[in-house]
Amino acid sequence: MPVKQLREEVFMPSTPQLDRRAVLKGIAGATLALPVLDAMGEDVAEKPPKRFCALYTANGMSLPKSEHGISDWNWFPQAKGKDFQFGKSTAPLKPFAKQLSFLGGLYHPNGTKADPHICSDMWLTGAPLHNPQPGKFNSVGLDQVIAKHTKQHCRQPSLVLSIDAGVGFLSRTGTISYNLEGKPIPAENNPRRVFDRLFRADRASLETQRDHLKRRIKLVDAVLESAQSLNKRLGRSDQQTMDQYLTSLNEIEARLIASEKWIDIPLKKQDYSHLDLTVTSEGEPRDYYRTMFDLIALAFDADITRSIAFMLNREDGMGISDTFPLKLGLTRTHHNLSHAGDKAGQLEFAKYDLFLSEQLAYFFDRLQQYQDKQGSVLDNSIVLYGSGASTTHYPKNLPTLIAGGANMGLRHGTFWHKKETRMSNVFLSILRSMGIAEESFADSTGVLHDSVFSKV
Amino acid sequence: MSRRVLGAALLFTVIGWGMTAVLSTRPADGEEPPSAKGHIAQSWTFQQHVRPLLKKNCLRCHNAETMESGIRLDQLDGSLAQQRLFLWRDMLRQIEDESMPPDGEPQPSADERKALAAWIKRAIEKARSRHAEKNGSVRRLTVAQYRNTLRDLLGIQEDLTGILPPDGISKEGFTNNGETMSLSPLLVEAYFNIAEKALDLCIVNEREQPVIQSFRMELGENINPTPCPDELILGANSMLLRNQDFQVTELQPDKPFAYRPFAMRKSFRFIEGYQGNDTVRGWREFNSIYHAVFACMRGTLGYPRGHAYQCVPEGLLLRPAIPSSELFGESSTYGPHSNFKVSLRELPQQGNFRVVVDAARYDDGLLLNPSTDTPIESPEDDAITADLSTTPSPNIAIATAGIYQIDVDYVPSEKPAMLSLQLGDRHFPGTLPQQKPSTEATEEKPSARNVAFLLVRLGAGTLDLKAQVTEQSQLRMMRFHRIDEQSRQAQRFVAFERRSPILGVHVGLRRDCGSTLARVGEPQAVTAKESRRFVFEGAINNFPSPDVEEGNPNYLAGFREIGVRSEFTDGRAMPRLRIRSVEFEGPYYETWPPATHRNIFVQSTNRDDPPTYAREVILKFASRAFRRPVTDAELTSLHNVWKTSFDETKDFQQSIKHALIVVLTSPQFLFLVEESAGPEAEDLDEYELASKLSYFLWNSAPDERLIERAAAKTLRRSLDIEIDRMIADPRFRQFTQQFASQWLSLDKFDVLEVDRKRYPQLTRDTRAQLREEPVQTVLHLIRKNLPLRRLIQSDFIVANDVVAHYYGIADRSESGFQFLPVQHESENLGGLLTQAGILAGLSDGRESNPVKRGAWFARKIIAEPPDDPPPNVPELMEDDGEQLTLRQRLERHRNQKGCANCHSGIDPWGIAFEEFNAGGRYRTGDVHDPRSTLPDGTEIENLNELKAYLIQDRLDRVAFSFMKHLAVYATGRSLNFQDVVFLEQEGVKLKSHDYRMRDMIRFIIHSDLFMKK
Repeated sequence: MPVKQLREEVFMPSTPQLDRRAVLKGIAGATLALPVLDAMGEDVAEKPPKRFCALYTANGMSLPKSEHGISDWNWFPQAKGKDFQFGKSTAPLKPFAKQLSFLGGLYHPNGTKADPHICSDMWLTGAPLHNPQPGKFNSVGLDQVIAKHTKQHCRQPSLVLSIDAGVGFLSRTGTISYNLEGKPIPAENNPRRVFDRLFRADRASLETQRDHLKRRIKLVDAVLESAQSLNKRLGRSDQQTMDQYLTSLNEIEARLIASEKWIDIPLKKQDYSHLDLTVTSEGEPRDYYRTMFDLIALAFDADITRSIAFMLNREDGMGISDTFPLKLGLTRTHHNLSHAGDKAGQLEFAKYDLFLSEQLAYFFDRLQQYQDKQGSVLDNSIVLYGSGASTTHYPKNLPTLIAGGANMGLRHGTFWHKKETRMSNVFLSILRSMGIAEESFADSTGVLHDSVFSKV
Repeated sequence: MSRRVLGAALLFTVIGWGMTAVLSTRPADGEEPPSAKGHIAQSWTFQQHVRPLLKKNCLRCHNAETMESGIRLDQLDGSLAQQRLFLWRDMLRQIEDESMPPDGEPQPSADERKALAAWIKRAIEKARSRHAEKNGSVRRLTVAQYRNTLRDLLGIQEDLTGILPPDGISKEGFTNNGETMSLSPLLVEAYFNIAEKALDLCIVNEREQPVIQSFRMELGENINPTPCPDELILGANSMLLRNQDFQVTELQPDKPFAYRPFAMRKSFRFIEGYQGNDTVRGWREFNSIYHAVFACMRGTLGYPRGHAYQCVPEGLLLRPAIPSSELFGESSTYGPHSNFKVSLRELPQQGNFRVVVDAARYDDGLLLNPSTDTPIESPEDDAITADLSTTPSPNIAIATAGIYQIDVDYVPSEKPAMLSLQLGDRHFPGTLPQQKPSTEATEEKPSARNVAFLLVRLGAGTLDLKAQVTEQSQLRMMRFHRIDEQSRQAQRFVAFERRSPILGVHVGLRRDCGSTLARVGEPQAVTAKESRRFVFEGAINNFPSPDVEEGNPNYLAGFREIGVRSEFTDGRAMPRLRIRSVEFEGPYYETWPPATHRNIFVQSTNRDDPPTYAREVILKFASRAFRRPVTDAELTSLHNVWKTSFDETKDFQQSIKHALIVVLTSPQFLFLVEESAGPEAEDLDEYELASKLSYFLWNSAPDERLIERAAAKTLRRSLDIEIDRMIADPRFRQFTQQFASQWLSLDKFDVLEVDRKRYPQLTRDTRAQLREEPVQTVLHLIRKNLPLRRLIQSDFIVANDVVAHYYGIADRSESGFQFLPVQHESENLGGLLTQAGILAGLSDGRESNPVKRGAWFARKIIAEPPDDPPPNVPELMEDDGEQLTLRQRLERHRNQKGCANCHSGIDPWGIAFEEFNAGGRYRTGDVHDPRSTLPDGTEIENLNELKAYLIQDRLDRVAFSFMKHLAVYATGRSLNFQDVVFLEQEGVKLKSHDYRMRDMIRFIIHSDLFMKK
């Protein structure tokens, strides 16, 4: 199909949605906020969304040996603190110097015990993969904990993307997202399918969803009724316990009603003209990443979801992404580059880092351009970029970059470094910054103090 | 002991409640204060007299800001509210024994003291005569209770509760305390999701035939006449059985109902993964059942003696699966060796499965160790000799049946050689050592060696011998020496021969770097030499699954594994396990529709009348779920849910499901409810009693019989019979598991990070068994109704082979994984206080920690809990360069202001455990000094003296602590002052019967604590 024709098809707004949108707009004014308004009260709707996006790159970054004399190609900045300078491989990110920070010294204590090839499986979970709980392999990931708390405010709990579709296979997983039960969530890798899922939900599945929600609401109602009849026969002090239960039921009902309303609320009007949905992971890496980043930015802007995980490439020579350096004119595959000890190899590896930095800069730019009620989408999104290995499967000092989230108290423009800092503590700090009251995350021991997180 | 310290020691007991040994100091019943004091006290009021005295003498330290020792007295008023009675009682004692105010502070006059004491005494008496209000109770089911209840109610094995957040832990350590239980929308939402999922698992479409997957893998040398022609490659360390040594057949088991057999997929297309870990991008097609199912042996390489596994015509022989951590001191993700697994791509999505292993105990010989066992030097004519220099397979004549030692005479080469020895149809492969390091380097011909190789029982007759050897070694001769049945070697062989391999089945997934497997059911001892069928059952979703999407293009993705092992216990040699075949069937149904379905859609003559039948179904289900008859209002409401749904969908099953979702998310199901008409204490009704009993003793819902008794109003009358029945029931393990774990804080051991260099024996598998020891001990003592003092001191431990091995008494246990009493004959074993699971849990995995152990002891064993550290704890002083012993450091800490009060009630207990290391084992030769002066001034030399002291002087307190924890667990709430006084006063009456364990459970159940609401 010719590109042009396909694009037109994409832009064409479906008329029934427009109609309903007009009606609703007439009644409610602020269209998008409607369900939230009903369910949570006005103050919630006035707050800008708090979003999270995790971007994973496999095999670590190039950290050239000092004897090669190319330390300006080290992914980590040379100086620590506010005076840091971008290295050559991160130079494209300079325009965002005030909106991002490098974090150094991070690690998963469990990462040092497990097979280093499975570091992507635990990057967002911190789970003891070397010694899993009976009956389990992994545990819940950060993006899904966030989704658990943000899903009632948006249309879809989370979006899970990867360079390869599905889950790959365990211990070489093609997804970085694990659900509440610790099971991998299959990732989507095809831009067209991602677009359809986000912006073109089909009627039939919407109706199924609506039926399910409606029925659930009825059942919750029935339980409420049954609980109230019981409540009358309880002792005074115990009515409080029951009240807690009733309150919880009421809240669930409100959430369900909100979700049901989402189905009818038309999407925010957005410009899709820059989207090229014909790209695939088998084509040019640059085009592919940019389209995927376009989609993420659009999804955030329309508040379709508030939690996104995207695995940019895979560990240990798995999948298509291993060949990307070759496509970019370098001489070795991604995994082989990560093992390079020679000067030429380490330089090439850094050049691949440079390529990724360029794509990342593109992404930050997109997020910057979309505006929320307060600040840009970037100001209201925490973007975490990094790897589960620093270089060549070494599970300590994980390369990590955090960007955005100014409205959630993130104070940027620094290279923060503290030896042997638990990644889970960073995750907990992210949760707290987002106003999510989880007591702990995985093996966290507390939040990060004196770091980029000012509201923990 | 100085007055100051004594005062502090007593003061620490003020905190919380129920921590003082009142029995010795409590005035005898009926004792009245002298009339004069009584007179003063009676005319006193709190505001006019008591408050000014407190202000003058106490409040300077015990005020809102200073809160010395965490105690505030400024909030006290004249009402003596329930929650303050503990504080008043401890004040009374310290006023009477003049330990407060402390030395150096202004003191009240003697008269003031007397009058104040008299007033408090009277006020407490008066407060006690007020009954504490009783307003019934509502407790949410704990996660464990909810899981058990769902399983018992629905009959499904799947554990769907993984998404529930863990329960909070109360200050006594329990998860079932109503006050610490939280409820959140997320939790309630999860209840809805679980209810729907659970019912979907139970309810089937009756009109559809089930689809059943079944296959058999047979094992044996050259068993497969048409093996897979392709070479299978499976990534790193791909160790597979030879294609011709296993055969897979899809089966159609006989079932009493019609079903569709599931045909496993045999043709595939993959774009990567089929050349191991090398990146390949190119579609390739595969077409054979052996690309869907194959026999994998991947595990850690190496085995201490003999071959880890061997295929013989009769099956696959397996030696115990030694965890890699045992072999090499560090864990490898490849799992143990030997590690046989059926690897396969497809298993059912849900439901139960059954694995049947056809297995036998191999008629094995005991491989000898050439470096420690010596060949028998006897006159040649005593031995039967096989000359191997001319033929590798001579016949030999065994004249007399018996135990033989086989020595091998051979010319070694530079490397150890593998000797494959076959005697008749029995196989004994082993290793022959390389040549000894030559003293004369120039010697051309290596000299022959004669080594002890095997102990084996042989029958009389002619024996075909086959021997082959590798590495250019040359066999010269084998000598068969019949050995005296009384000899040490023969005894050793007999012990070996009596041991049985333990068959375990594991299910999970294959990873690139190993496997993640979980055990299916309990391992089973294989005692017979003839093949028997061993059945293992589980629910497929309780096991790790790779969760790959349909059509995953990687050859290696999504492999499931069914592991079959000879389980490793303690490393003693045992006969090999012979596996003939492994069969799988799933989903496994006895009937169709399955029992889970028929439990809901009960037999009825009204099946053609939807409204009436719906009413019956709902009534039956809801009554079981609510653990009592449903009320008319409840039934009507549920029936309405059904009707609304049925009117809309016309789908009877779906609409029933909707009504049942409401049942399973209703508070009547999720909560343990004791209704209350008012603040007066009332008797539990019979149904409430049934639930309270069953959640106490089974941690699950009452069974049919309890409910029947409740319905007939005979439960209260037959209480003791029911208690005994419940304790004897297997579900009682759910009590010991919960109660013992939480009372003794075993969760600390679960999360311990052990320093494996120091404690290499604390492997994961060993830890799992040590964790179980305290639980099994409590279970044993209760089931046998033994005296409480056995918790403290006992000449047996309740152990299995793994636990006994850890304590160095492996030779006393021959029970495999089964926990049985074992006479230990050791000075340093017996009772809870020396159990490794407890002591190691109270360390940091590196060093023992007397403070943790002391605090645990005070809290759990004698119920004199220390307070939490006060908010203004000063930093510990640095050691300023001095090399201090642990004792000195503790002393220094104890003497620091702010620490002393609590630590003087903690450390003395903990120090007594110093002869036990962080791994919980007795350490000899170390300079860890266990001498201690206990808070009451008693001097002890070591832990044994502490035990003796507990039994002689403090047994009442230990009994109180046990009963207190029982009562808190049984009622799901903290005890109030009345409850504590009741336990202290009444519990002691059980002493005349030795405080027997089951008696104490009965005592708690019969008390008003339990029976009133």
